[in-house]
Amino acid sequence: MDAKRNNTKGSQSREGKATQMEGPDLESVIERAQGHDAEALGEIYRLYVRRVFGLCRYMLDSRESAEDATSEVFLKLQRSIESYDGSIPFPRWLLRVAGNQCIDALRRRKRGRQVIVEAEEGVAVLEAASSEPSPLGAVLSTEERAQVRDAIARLPENYRVPLVLRYYGELSYDEIAQQLGLQRNYVAALIFRAKQELRRKLGHRSK
Amino acid sequence: MECYSEQIVSIFVDGELAVEEARRLRDHLATCRRCRQLLDALRAENRVLSESLQELPEEAVSPAGFSRLPWSLPWGDVAVVAAVLALGSMVVGWIDKLSIPEALQWLNPFSLNGRTNLIFNLSYYFAHGGTAMVDDYAAIVGKIFLLLLLGGSVVLLARRLRLRQPGLRLLIVLLALSLPGFALERRHSEVVTVAAHETVDDTLLASGNIVRVEGVVNGDLLAFGGTVEVRGTVKGDLVSFAKRTVVSGTVEGNIYNFSNSLDLDGQLGHSIYGLVQSLRVNDRGRVGDGVVVAAGDVSLEGEVNRSVTMFAGNADVSGSIGRELTMTGDSLTLTNTSRIGGSLSARVHQLKNVHIADGATITGTRDIQVRVRQSHFTRPRFYFYQAVWLAAAMLVGWLGLVLFPGFFQASTQAVGSGWRSLGLGVGVLAGVPVAIILIAITLVGLPASLMLLALYLAAIYLAKIWVGAFLGHMLLKPAGATKSDWLLGLLVGLLILTIVGYIPYLGGLVRLGVVCLGLGAFAWQLYRVSRPAITT
Repeated sequence: MDAKRNNTKGSQSREGKATQMEGPDLESVIERAQGHDAEALGEIYRLYVRRVFGLCRYMLDSRESAEDATSEVFLKLQRSIESYDGSIPFPRWLLRVAGNQCIDALRRRKRGRQVIVEAEEGVAVLEAASSEPSPLGAVLSTEERAQVRDAIARLPENYRVPLVLRYYGELSYDEIAQQLGLQRNYVAALIFRAKQELRRKLGHRSK
Repeated sequence: MECYSEQIVSIFVDGELAVEEARRLRDHLATCRRCRQLLDALRAENRVLSESLQELPEEAVSPAGFSRLPWSLPWGDVAVVAAVLALGSMVVGWIDKLSIPEALQWLNPFSLNGRTNLIFNLSYYFAHGGTAMVDDYAAIVGKIFLLLLLGGSVVLLARRLRLRQPGLRLLIVLLALSLPGFALERRHSEVVTVAAHETVDDTLLASGNIVRVEGVVNGDLLAFGGTVEVRGTVKGDLVSFAKRTVVSGTVEGNIYNFSNSLDLDGQLGHSIYGLVQSLRVNDRGRVGDGVVVAAGDVSLEGEVNRSVTMFAGNADVSGSIGRELTMTGDSLTLTNTSRIGGSLSARVHQLKNVHIADGATITGTRDIQVRVRQSHFTRPRFYFYQAVWLAAAMLVGWLGLVLFPGFFQASTQAVGSGWRSLGLGVGVLAGVPVAIILIAITLVGLPASLMLLALYLAAIYLAKIWVGAFLGHMLLKPAGATKSDWLLGLLVGLLILTIVGYIPYLGGLVRLGVVCLGLGAFAWQLYRVSRPAITT
């Protein structure tokens, strides 16, 4: 299995800290897990629980819900791992599963309604060049990173969910659109607006 | 060529721009310095996002906390169930071993007798405005809970100041001091008798079908049984928890009584405090001090030296009362032979239910009030108390949120699971009193049962807060999840619940539902917290 990402966004590729196991090792563990080897499943849990919990924690608004979702993901993994075919790296696949689990949880809370409802004006893409882009600075101290995290956690759900799926789960726009049942363009707009909102929040903070 | 929009560049940076458009943008970048700068900045921003997201939003999670195998998750639940079963069987075995005497079967909710008693008592309780009492009770519990919360914050503060060890010791000492430590003699058999010539020097703890004292108990007598009879002398207090209590001898202290019936035929040094179905002070009975009692029927034929205060369905007085008689209830009868040394004040529903014979002597004033069922909505006091109640609930909610933010918010959320909370709540509401009684019956567990009772009442009080907060949250749907959002939701929810609670009939049901929902959410949350799932 190829550990590198096989889509076009190579520049943002991030090696998860939890992924201490690469290539053949991981492959054999996954194979064993697919054969319902409890030890292998345990190993996968040990390797990725933190990543999965992180995604859930960002997507859901309480620690308890995140814990529930994480438990669910790994409980279902015993069965769902059979469907993993190696076409994408395992961590990404796992985070996609986790993302789905969280979206299910959010949907349940909204009694089956869509997590994010597409607004009419949403698809419109800003055409004019922005006069002052001022994206976030390049290098951040630990404290500043904590501020960013905090700001992300405080984003409204419709911004937070796609943003986290994109930059934590490393899902593509298409995957996010599919999971949330939205148009691809709308997902792009939401992610862009989420970043603007983040800048606004962090700008307020630093002033 | 015109520059690209920031959004397009952003999509490009995400690697999500269509191939053709991406190629055009690359061409443009080669010539436009401004767009190249934007590109760099957006790339840096993405890096910042990814890096920042490497850690978790709240306190960092130690990987050690996650080192458990996932298989401990289902096993964890199995373990909880197993533990509950084991504990249950232990308790059952324990109860079996204790072999609850025949006499106490009327109390045992697992016996037919006990169940009928329970149902009868409950229906009697509710028929006589017990729900209002529950409300008052809840208010008192609210105050106690406030104190507990304050205590909790002190402990938290102490922990922060690293006073944990001494603080803990202090707590243990306080707990130890609060438990009664007296010399105790225990007797347990079918019939417990202190024979006529016998003297018990310590406090006697007796349980049996019949507990009979014909001799002398120098300490207190704590008696549990079907019939408790004092023919001899108890020099201390008599605490009796029985179906029937008869005192034909002498009790020099007080009588604290929880019985179906209490008959006093003999001498009592001090007072009667009781919660009984029927209280009778016979013509030979004499009470050194006063009587404070809540009872279905009261019959005073003997003599009470001081005042009598009673909440009673029916009260007949034919004996003498040294000072005031204060009565609240349905009907009051004073016969020709009755004598009241002080004033009579009675509050009844209908004047025709008060019969005062011509020969009755009342030294002081007669104050008989008919409690007109005046709507409390017309009284300003009502609104004042409601406001105080609301403020107290808000304060409790706020303190809870400050001290246990996760638990409070999660409990609020758990309310949303609807039927699960409701079902669990009904179970807890009905089950905990049974557990309390069972633990209390064994006596050894009395402190535990009192603690459980306190927790139970506190949870009943908090139930409204969680349900209120949930309701408010549902209605307001705040964008964020800040404390002030939660509190605003709580205020709105509580206001709605309070108003709905006063709708006749439906209001009662709503209140019950609220208590069940809240209790269920609380129980679920307690279970979750105790569950060996993903914790740090």
